[in-house]
Amino acid sequence: MTQPIRVLVAKPGLDGHDRGALVIAQGLRDQGMEVIYTGLRQTPEQIANTAVQEDVACVGLSSLSGAHLELFPEVVRQLRARGAEDILVVGGGVIPDEDIPALQAAGIAHVFTPGTRIEDVAAFIRAHVHNHLPAEHAVPGVLQIDHIGIAVHSLASALPMYTQLLGLTVYHEEVIADQQVRTAFLRVGETDLELLEPTDGSGPIAQFLQRRGPGIHHIAYAVADIEASLRAARAAGYRLIDEAPRPGGHGKQIAFLHPKDTGGVLVEFCQRGVGAAEEGAVE
Amino acid sequence: MSLQDAYRAWQDKTEAALAKRPERKEAFHNHSDIPISRLYTPADGIQSEEAYLQKLGFPGEYPYTRGIQPTMYRGRYWTMRQYAGYGSAEETNARFRYLLEQGQTGLSTAFDLPTQIGYDADDPFARGEVGKVGVSISSRLDMETLLERIPLDQVSTSMTINAPASVLLAMYLVVAEQQGVPWDKVSGTIQNDILKEYVARGTYIFPPKPSMRLVTDVFDFCAREVPLWNTISISGYHIREAGSTAVQELAFTLANAMAYVQAAVDAGLAVDDFAPRLSFFFNAHNDFFEEIAKFRAARRMWSKIMRERFGAKNPRSWQLRFHTQTAGSTLTAQQPDNNVVRVTVQAMAAVLGGTQSLHTNSRDEALALPTEASARLALRTQQILAYESGLTDTIDPLAGSYYVEHLTDEVEARAWQYIDHIDQMGGAVTAIEQGYMQQEIHQAAYDTQVAIERGEQVVVGVNKFQMEEQERPEILRVDPALGRKQAERLAKLRAERPAEAHAAALTALRQAAEGTANLMPYLVDAVRKYATIGEICNVLRDVFGEYHPNLF
Repeated sequence: MTQPIRVLVAKPGLDGHDRGALVIAQGLRDQGMEVIYTGLRQTPEQIANTAVQEDVACVGLSSLSGAHLELFPEVVRQLRARGAEDILVVGGGVIPDEDIPALQAAGIAHVFTPGTRIEDVAAFIRAHVHNHLPAEHAVPGVLQIDHIGIAVHSLASALPMYTQLLGLTVYHEEVIADQQVRTAFLRVGETDLELLEPTDGSGPIAQFLQRRGPGIHHIAYAVADIEASLRAARAAGYRLIDEAPRPGGHGKQIAFLHPKDTGGVLVEFCQRGVGAAEEGAVE
Repeated sequence: MSLQDAYRAWQDKTEAALAKRPERKEAFHNHSDIPISRLYTPADGIQSEEAYLQKLGFPGEYPYTRGIQPTMYRGRYWTMRQYAGYGSAEETNARFRYLLEQGQTGLSTAFDLPTQIGYDADDPFARGEVGKVGVSISSRLDMETLLERIPLDQVSTSMTINAPASVLLAMYLVVAEQQGVPWDKVSGTIQNDILKEYVARGTYIFPPKPSMRLVTDVFDFCAREVPLWNTISISGYHIREAGSTAVQELAFTLANAMAYVQAAVDAGLAVDDFAPRLSFFFNAHNDFFEEIAKFRAARRMWSKIMRERFGAKNPRSWQLRFHTQTAGSTLTAQQPDNNVVRVTVQAMAAVLGGTQSLHTNSRDEALALPTEASARLALRTQQILAYESGLTDTIDPLAGSYYVEHLTDEVEARAWQYIDHIDQMGGAVTAIEQGYMQQEIHQAAYDTQVAIERGEQVVVGVNKFQMEEQERPEILRVDPALGRKQAERLAKLRAERPAEAHAAALTALRQAAEGTANLMPYLVDAVRKYATIGEICNVLRDVFGEYHPNLF
């Protein structure tokens, strides 16, 4: 990601077992996060101070000594006392299941018990620090799903299902030369389906078909301001395929986010030009 | 046909059939990255009578590969020593007496973290930690309660205490005195292994140099005053728990041991005066044969180190005596009953490796402290191995196994490589200060995690054969009011003890610490005058400073 999530891994109390903390720290680094490790024997006050000074998005607490019920909530209180309630706090260690509700009630967003995969920890942090994003890290207005892109080997053989079985109408066809793709648009309510057929064997759609076979290729969100949307995604740490908007099918401005950061779904932002919207409406 | 030709023919035939019936993996390696062959043959075992005598010898004789006693478990079983301790001294005393009634043959004390780091129970740093991972001991009064109605001339007591080990030993000796047991009759062990605290366990207080002085002061004092006391338990256990391989565990432990011996020799002690009381503590992990090889290699290496490097003359100085604990880090919170099986296999490796004492973990330790029922089952596991399995009727039964002898040589050779490297760095203390051991261990820990997450290393019930979890078992809870109760007890002690004698003892301790005298007599005197562990350690913190690790 262009701007990694910053995480503070912390050992509150006197517990000296830091194998887990160190392994998680390295694992989250390998997941692309920026990780600071406090070292042993930190008081809740010290942890909160470090979290604020280092401007982290998440604090991960580790304790194997049984002191979690006293120390973890104290870290949350100390963060709140410093106006840092937006920092996500998670915990892990030797923690009995029956203690987890009390920890969650005290503001620990999640407790990871032994056997948790680092990938799952990373996914949780990614999903939940985003809930705490400041305004400039959020897309300013998603209007609707603009269209769903579907990769097909051949428009001719794919279309009958849409046109005959579902009774939809193709209202626009277009070859986008630089993407080596021929597209057909069908309208469903306010949303389009965009069928994508490769025009030769080397373009992105041809490669997609080779790797994964036919199926849903991307989901496009209609946004009010594509430039601002891209800035927000970048600021929130998402990798971009397109650093700037480019012309897409149908006279729209489009840009893609990297599917590695979006759970495997290729996400497109698109902003309809005035002319393009009218064109669609007319046809 | 010669054996070699026959073996080649068999290999060729087997390789040819692999296309049809492939093996589970392309290549087999254990966690220490030692390649494991399809088959071991006499070519891998002990080749000649000469090699036998040189590599194995006889039990009770140099190089002790087969065991340190001439009769081993035919004479008597290992000491069954379950680590216990939680909450107050009263509660732990009750658990101790329960375990002795159940047939346990030695005590092993777990202290809480404030005690282990030299804080009184009412210190702000003790918040939330009092009585949690062990018993809370702030003064001799707590120690008196802990040992009440336990005959200290009959029961040996092991104490897992490191940075303030000499303070707890002083408390133990004062209580023995009170019970009328002379010091030359008390036996037991303090862990007193500060180096592995810097490496892997984290309960250090002072910097390495004064810490090493505290260690060697104990060697010296006990050689004269408490001759049956094991003055140190040099521990690979926690190094392994922190994620090391078996080879690293062995190498780093022996490297640390060499640093202690060197420090004592440098302090002017004669090696044969203290070396017979050095003891070791290893982990029994999952890889059954590698663990057995590790224990055998450890004995062979240590006898060589002591005889050749340090010139020890007393055979007792050459003998590596060790305690074993099964590997806590292999226990899973998922399907906790599976842990009973893991512990059994690990304990078998310890017994076949010739351990002197053994702790078997309880099934619920990945969840919390063990309940009485699960601690009893863990003890029963040892008793079944001792009394029912027949493992104990002959000495070192796996000797001569082509595989085990090969693995013993291999583990030893790889451990020597690490030791040579640490020697070149300037010894264990330097290697630790530079973070070398820590980084090696961390890398091994991370590799293990990655292998588990990729499914290359199977953990039954965790990344394979998972199931919906049933009811969680009952777990043991420590009274959260204990911190307050201990604080009240301390307030009373401080109000009632003779203030002048107390202050004078601490002043004398401070002056001794500033000089070079053996600190043990001063610590014993401070304890007698009701100085608390926090007060004593604060005096030493003032004089010695505190250790702040670099983060690597």
